[in-house]
Amino acid sequence: MKTYNCEFLCVGGGVGGLMAAIAAGKKGADVIIAEKADTRRSGSGANGNDHFHCYIPECHGTDTERVYREIGSSFDAGPWVDMELTKVWIDRSFEVIQMWEDMGINMRPTGVWKFEGHGMPGQQLYNLKFDGALQKSCLTREAKQQGARILNHIIIHDLLADKDGRLAGAIGVDISEEIPETVMIQCEAVLLATGMVSRMYPSITPAYMFNTPCCPATTGDAQAMAYRFGARLVNMDMLNGHAGPKYFARGGKGTWIGVSTDIRGNTFTPYNSKPSRATGDITADVWPTCYRDRLKKGKGPTFMNCTETSPEDLDYMLHTAMVSEGIDSITDYCEHYGIDLSSDMVEFGTYPIMMGQRGIEIDTHARTSVPGLYAAGNCTGNVNGSLCGAAVFGMTAGEDAADYVKNTKDISRIDPADIQKYEDLYQDLLSRSDGAHWKEAASSLQNIMNEYASADQQSEDMLNAGIEYMRQLKANCYKELGCSNSHELMRSLEVLNMIDLSEPIFLCSRNRKETRGPHVRCDYDFTDITLNGKFQTIYKERNGTVHMDYRYKR
Amino acid sequence: MPPIIDVKKCKACGYCAEICPLDVLYLNKQIRKLIVRYPEECWHCKACVKDCPVNAISIRYPLSHMMLHFPKEGLK
Repeated sequence: MKTYNCEFLCVGGGVGGLMAAIAAGKKGADVIIAEKADTRRSGSGANGNDHFHCYIPECHGTDTERVYREIGSSFDAGPWVDMELTKVWIDRSFEVIQMWEDMGINMRPTGVWKFEGHGMPGQQLYNLKFDGALQKSCLTREAKQQGARILNHIIIHDLLADKDGRLAGAIGVDISEEIPETVMIQCEAVLLATGMVSRMYPSITPAYMFNTPCCPATTGDAQAMAYRFGARLVNMDMLNGHAGPKYFARGGKGTWIGVSTDIRGNTFTPYNSKPSRATGDITADVWPTCYRDRLKKGKGPTFMNCTETSPEDLDYMLHTAMVSEGIDSITDYCEHYGIDLSSDMVEFGTYPIMMGQRGIEIDTHARTSVPGLYAAGNCTGNVNGSLCGAAVFGMTAGEDAADYVKNTKDISRIDPADIQKYEDLYQDLLSRSDGAHWKEAASSLQNIMNEYASADQQSEDMLNAGIEYMRQLKANCYKELGCSNSHELMRSLEVLNMIDLSEPIFLCSRNRKETRGPHVRCDYDFTDITLNGKFQTIYKERNGTVHMDYRYKR
Repeated sequence: MPPIIDVKKCKACGYCAEICPLDVLYLNKQIRKLIVRYPEECWHCKACVKDCPVNAISIRYPLSHMMLHFPKEGLK
């Protein structure tokens, strides 16, 4: 077993983890980043982003109340966020932009601040068009310059406590070689930032489970670890997903310059009738499930229609904007298969559930309910977790953690006996080289989630059955799963994490006895106004007692 | 299935295997050969294509990931 010591461990080397490491490093903290892949090209921001949702005073004016109101009501914020956190994100967004520019990330490809896409009717534009193609390598370089040690190809699997039950480290597996090696990291504070949950529900092409709009390496490891360690989760009953081309799953809808239409080219919302490079197509921002809803009502198919887009804008979209966003596989696909967007409409679909921005509850300093444990990005459940939110709350977490570790020097060593159960689990899995493949378990997980914690309609009977089936699956996995190498062990641990994460989804869904937004109950087909303005939270004590509560949106 | 390695160009430096977000690629150090080991786990993100120092990698987009499209002028 390899062991490491540091003050602050960042689990996940995405935008949130790297920003936390940079911020903590600047304040003198000893930081390790543990990343499942390689921080230079990992996660949903691996190859870029091109919308940085932000407030730049020289562009948007000094009326911050207007900015809070407009961004707070936008697609990126959504109804399931705390306004006190949204204000932090807005207030500090320009600081991040200036920092990124200093790191060499091209925030002004045209030389001026330019805003495009995700425009809401009658509002200012807040999505900065930048070139994020090299964002991860720039952030990685900066994290190293600030003294962070980066451990790539390590999956952190669980959090560890000292003898008094306080957060004291984490355990995982080094998968860089064929034979895995257990890794234990002792520290005083931990940031969890591993993104959303891309593979808990079947993909849009169920036979190919890695065909997901955001990076399929994001498997809810942070949320599962937080739940097992007793941290509070929030909004786990509000299932959500993304939209984009069928059957080539890819995020970045805001980069398309076109309009959503039916097969005859007719629009169906009052917003866009002509393509606009400035606002983009806002149909799915206003009505996120429109493609699925229209299909179910017999009004499909629905298309992203770029046939009225100017040749200049089409060229810009395919060869500049999609490259900056890191989704130029769409460009390649169109060119290879002869899709001419000036005459061909691309059918769009609502993708299956991926639980972004549903997860760990944080405060304005990115602290979770567990002392020393922080979270940022799409694994958090009460603030925008995509690019800008991940960056701001990663930075906030790093700053706060650097102060926290200075005042927390009495954490005990981790008891080696606590490590043994993990070593035993890994050895069990590796010893069954002819055991069940992780894909078998993943398939059952996805089927159960899809039918028993459905995005379409739920009931107490179905949820109860799903809870029982998931317990059976978990027991079967611990008895039957087998791995022949590091890669398969990583995939198996991911599935086990997603199985654990199903518990708060099922329990919160069962406990919300009403129909609201994406939560549709056939046995409670009314909206309970006593729950207006409230979020549901859940946490589990180490003894297994689960607590669920509703609290007001802050 | 993707990605496709041009063995004439590939120097087996292993960089693509290091940075692949999905651990699809594997460098067999004994025979110094790059192997596409888990093709069904490819996300088609092009990280390997973009970072290969000798442009030895291309992506094949599988038939399963068909991008549905329809002519605006309707069926002919």
